[in-house]
Amino acid sequence: MTNSNDLYTGFSQLTRRRVVVLSSMFIALLVSLWLDILAGPAGLSAGQVLKGLIHPDTLELRYQIILWDVRLPDALIALAVGAALGLSGIETQTVLDNPLASPFTLGVSSAAVVGASIAIVLIPDIPNLPTQFILPFLALSGALGASLLVLLVVQISGGSRQTVVLFGISLVFLCNAISSGFHLIADEDALQQVVFWTIGNLTKAGWLEVAIVSSCFFIILPFSLKHVWLLTLLRGGEAHARSTGVNVSRLRTWVIVRSSILAAFAVCFVGTIGFVGLVGPHIARLLLGEDHRMLVPGAAICGALLLSMASTLSKTLIPGVIIPVGILTAVVGVPLFLSLLFQRSRRQ
Amino acid sequence: MRLKVQSVSTTYGKKTILHDVSLPNIPAGTIVGLLGPNASGKSTLMKCLAGEKKCDGHISFDKLNVAETDQKHWFNKVATMPQTPPSPTALTPTELMWSTARALALPISDRELARNIERIFKDLGLVQFALSPLHTLSGGKRQLVGLALALIREPELFLLDEPTSALDLHWKISVLALVHGKVKSEGKIALAALHDLDLAARYCDILVLLKQGRIVASGPPFEVLTSQNIERVYHVETEISDTGKGYPRIDVIAPLKENHENA
Repeated sequence: MTNSNDLYTGFSQLTRRRVVVLSSMFIALLVSLWLDILAGPAGLSAGQVLKGLIHPDTLELRYQIILWDVRLPDALIALAVGAALGLSGIETQTVLDNPLASPFTLGVSSAAVVGASIAIVLIPDIPNLPTQFILPFLALSGALGASLLVLLVVQISGGSRQTVVLFGISLVFLCNAISSGFHLIADEDALQQVVFWTIGNLTKAGWLEVAIVSSCFFIILPFSLKHVWLLTLLRGGEAHARSTGVNVSRLRTWVIVRSSILAAFAVCFVGTIGFVGLVGPHIARLLLGEDHRMLVPGAAICGALLLSMASTLSKTLIPGVIIPVGILTAVVGVPLFLSLLFQRSRRQ
Repeated sequence: MRLKVQSVSTTYGKKTILHDVSLPNIPAGTIVGLLGPNASGKSTLMKCLAGEKKCDGHISFDKLNVAETDQKHWFNKVATMPQTPPSPTALTPTELMWSTARALALPISDRELARNIERIFKDLGLVQFALSPLHTLSGGKRQLVGLALALIREPELFLLDEPTSALDLHWKISVLALVHGKVKSEGKIALAALHDLDLAARYCDILVLLKQGRIVASGPPFEVLTSQNIERVYHVETEISDTGKGYPRIDVIAPLKENHENA
């Protein structure tokens, strides 16, 4: 570097390269969304789908219903849930300085399973209660209850990340034990339902669920984007962040609160879809580096892309059968993650 | 512009770490060396001065009292370099510097910020590592990045906690010479916790010798670095001589094992 513009130029080029990567990831997401909408056993062609999206009335009624009430909500909930888990994952990993952290490390999903188990096993039939809302309501209550407990621990421990992680792991074990208790007393049908819910499945979501999860994501995203510089700074180490006057404990509290809420809404309708919140952020980090201006939206896009690809695969892998998407997230994510990881190792 | 530290005491749990520590009034253009063995309270005093740890007593800088000033305002004037270097992540030194400046909302343009970062990196020999991930840098280079993070903020008071502990001889001298030059030419104040007595004698105007949270001696290097004081604090036998350049030289003869074990 020979003159004072070199660093500016070098840094600008690096940033521009990452913007290109981020844009490519977004384009890949749109392609994946399109493929997900196309996938299905009804035999709708790409032209019919496009026509049906622009002028729904031109399609036969049954195709209108398939497109607008089944495929679109399924494809969009995959994006919303994936993006929510990706965003929640990257923020949790950064503030806890723990690459193994994910929304589930804090016990949020395990608590959701407890709520779902109560709904399925204990209160299967209550007259005058809309049953389709009891399960997500109790799953959400469980997950938000866990979030509240985590917040309490953050406050008591003064934001100590070790305490928060250890508490989260303890909560996971406790919730798993309670869920196992419910499984013991559940009849065969209820047990099957619990297992099915725990695996994670997108097909029961409708427009209301899409609207709720998306709203939660878009309400929380601006707060995350507001903190991108602080989160980047925090990657240099807590001591350095503190030494610049950053109130790390307060930042950690806010991030954990919003990540937990986001994860709670993400899992309450579709079940505990694992892996996305853990690996989505890592894939984004491998592609975009540690600058959280890119990494925060990048992790959300990666999460959405992973789940969208898994959703497409779930409908096409075995013709006529829809495999629960939770089974396929790792199938899609692991090869992608490992190939990036080995590519980086070779470069280094 | 003065730094005042009077009767500062603080505890970790029930254990008192600093006992009624007072420093001489420190005017602008002064480098203060905090000396003492491990666990003597140097880092804790730094944390109190940074406002990171609550304490009894009085700490003020440029008419601002640390206990009555919000952290953001205090950190506009004070920059701390912690003992641990930045974490070895995939973040680059430039990204870390950039995010620090932007997180603190420093009112400068991107081009000006790049110029400042590059100037600091040149001073610290980091230019060729500017866009390399921190995990590829040695511990010493990362320690220099830590100092760069303090310098980018252009503070009036530097708090440097063992700033040269991971550096080779060249960079030990270079870093202290750089801080010395900045303090003298720009009228700033620096407090540095140091283990190297010769370097402290050479670059510091005032030395403060701590042992178990209490001040044993404070003042100019010739007054503080006496054989008796060093024996009392470090339990080593020394010979002190005059370099003829305005500061003493310390030759360590041998450790005093029995005293140290009984201390």
